[in-house]
Amino acid sequence: MTIRILVVDDHPIVRQGLKTLLEGHSDWQVVGEASDGAEAIEKAKDLDPDVMVLDVTMPRMNGLEACRVLRRQSPDLEILFVTQHDSPQMMREALEAGARGYVVKSNAARDLLAAVEAVSQHRVFTALNERSFPQLT
Amino acid sequence: MHMKLRILLADDHEIVRRGLRALLEKHEGWEVCGEASDGREAVEKALQLNPDVVIVDIGMPNLNGLDTTRQLLQHDPHFKVIVLTITDSDQVIREALDAGARGFVLKSDAARDLVSAVEALQNKRMFFTPRVNDLVLAGFLEKGQTVPRNEAPKLPTLTAREREITQLLAEGNSSKEVASLLNLSTKTVETHRSNIMRKLSFHSIRDLVVYAIKNNLIQIELPPPPKTPAGPTAA
Repeated sequence: MTIRILVVDDHPIVRQGLKTLLEGHSDWQVVGEASDGAEAIEKAKDLDPDVMVLDVTMPRMNGLEACRVLRRQSPDLEILFVTQHDSPQMMREALEAGARGYVVKSNAARDLLAAVEAVSQHRVFTALNERSFPQLT
Repeated sequence: MHMKLRILLADDHEIVRRGLRALLEKHEGWEVCGEASDGREAVEKALQLNPDVVIVDIGMPNLNGLDTTRQLLQHDPHFKVIVLTITDSDQVIREALDAGARGFVLKSDAARDLVSAVEALQNKRMFFTPRVNDLVLAGFLEKGQTVPRNEAPKLPTLTAREREITQLLAEGNSSKEVASLLNLSTKTVETHRSNIMRKLSFHSIRDLVVYAIKNNLIQIELPPPPKTPAGPTAA
């Protein structure tokens, strides 16, 4: 079954890179793109994706706020954050906002495919860089 | 037979490099001849591959984009460098121009501007965002001056090596790790570190990190503001 993915990031270049990576997988389809949280909410309503790949820091409405709205609006949608913020605290906030996955952009090429696979099966997937772990103690 | 224009991409995010590659390779006659994930690798690959154009992200670890540009042009002034940045502050623009970049593009506008930037450099022209043109009009670049007299830097200047070490320390590397990255002894790094702290009158690594951010040795993306609790609703 095809997994339908909506890609949300305020940088078109990043969206292009994510799309190139995701579309390498034969059963996945990028059904749309959005450049901020408000547009992500609108497009989720129109396109009904299975998974949303979502940035945190965006203009107009950031990813965390969008995630909270989407949790109410689209309960079946799984949200995977792909973000610059290599921070356990941000990851905790993202999961509390209703995301199922959290991956750091610097490792997106390595982690994204496994993350999408996991969240599409309703499993949690998180991956930070090792250096950030000591902040947990 | 027309030779393809060869482009080297340097950005620490593979996702961004993929996006840039997809954008640039749509252009017939251009090819991405190599990629680098930090400034040091960018300099090595540029010297090996001799690209026509080098696109460097400002905010790369180990060696940032501005220092990468300086090193490239020290090796060979014919390298043509386009700097990609998340910010177009006056200071960043001045530093990019001082470093010798021939193109300056905001990452958020890269999908729109980067192709034009590469085309400009291909035709031996420069490419900058409109804000840079405003600075030129304001006379900041008259007679080779890139800093107006009344805004002369207040802090002592660090040497190129000291800047490299400042960046690596601000990124969280220990002196031993810095020594390993730069092929120096730990003792040499410690000496540089003491000199840097003394020159800048700093007392802690935190001071160094703040300095590195303010002076674009490292770039950070700020997290969104914390969620504010809902206030009482009006009756």
